[in-house]
Amino acid sequence: MTQLKINEKGERFCQDVFEQMMTQSEAVYGVLISTVDGHDVTRKFKRDMPAAKLAAMMSSVLALGETIAREAKQEMCRYVIVENSDGFILTLKLKEKLVLSVIASADANLGLLHSLSRNAAEKLAKNLR
Amino acid sequence: MAELKLIITGTPGAGKTTAIGAISETPPVVTDTSTTDDLAEVKDVTTVAMDFGELTLDDGQKVFIYGTPGQRRFEFMWKILVQGGLGLIILVDCSRPDPVEDLRIYLENFEDFIRDTGMVIGLTRRDGGQGPSLDEFYTALENWGTVFPILEVDVREREDVSLLINALVSTLEFA
Repeated sequence: MTQLKINEKGERFCQDVFEQMMTQSEAVYGVLISTVDGHDVTRKFKRDMPAAKLAAMMSSVLALGETIAREAKQEMCRYVIVENSDGFILTLKLKEKLVLSVIASADANLGLLHSLSRNAAEKLAKNLR
Repeated sequence: MAELKLIITGTPGAGKTTAIGAISETPPVVTDTSTTDDLAEVKDVTTVAMDFGELTLDDGQKVFIYGTPGQRRFEFMWKILVQGGLGLIILVDCSRPDPVEDLRIYLENFEDFIRDTGMVIGLTRRDGGQGPSLDEFYTALENWGTVFPILEVDVREREDVSLLINALVSTLEFA
């Protein structure tokens, strides 16, 4: 099956951005870029996690977030945040057809997580075709 | 009167979102996003979480219809969506290379749910007599040791979708 791929230079750029995110917040232990229709594109995980399954789930959760926002007469879903007893999962749109997901442990500062995810998304969007 | 929850599934492009759009009394809830893989040759968007619509039967019974994503990578959504469901509609796209095999796969995918509930099969994209004959589908079901109603439908037509739903509700009533 043909799937959206990024070139070697793009991959290196993504890995650098992921590394910076993990340096800025030690709580971040997973960053994933996937397509809006649920394919895994690239990732950096410090723990073992099923990337393909997560990619599909992130596309579902973001689409549901956008749909719920529309039904509630709100506009522009910026993030979907899943807050759990032992961590956070933050998902946001990255360009038209990509999704950025950031997975962090419970000691993450949610404000910082927002900010570094937004900054990373902007950087990645500028550099990925 | 409690609401009936029904599920529509089938291959990507079989017409699940269209069927719900055709029958729902309220604007359907859709979770379509752009396709980025081979499916883009056939359609620009695909359902990645669920569709939702609602309708009222002639006797006042409220029906909630949930459409699943078609691709196997969204299997986790199938498991979520069937919870509390009372019946399943499988749409089979007869313009695809092997519609009987597609049906077999979806019967297998939803095997546990089907065992406990009712099911009907809708054959779509039959323009110009595309795909195997009704007899071939019934024979395949027989060979697999099952029997379910099979209807040829144009899911763009409200009456056709209504027929599928009424057939499923009747199946449930007489189960």
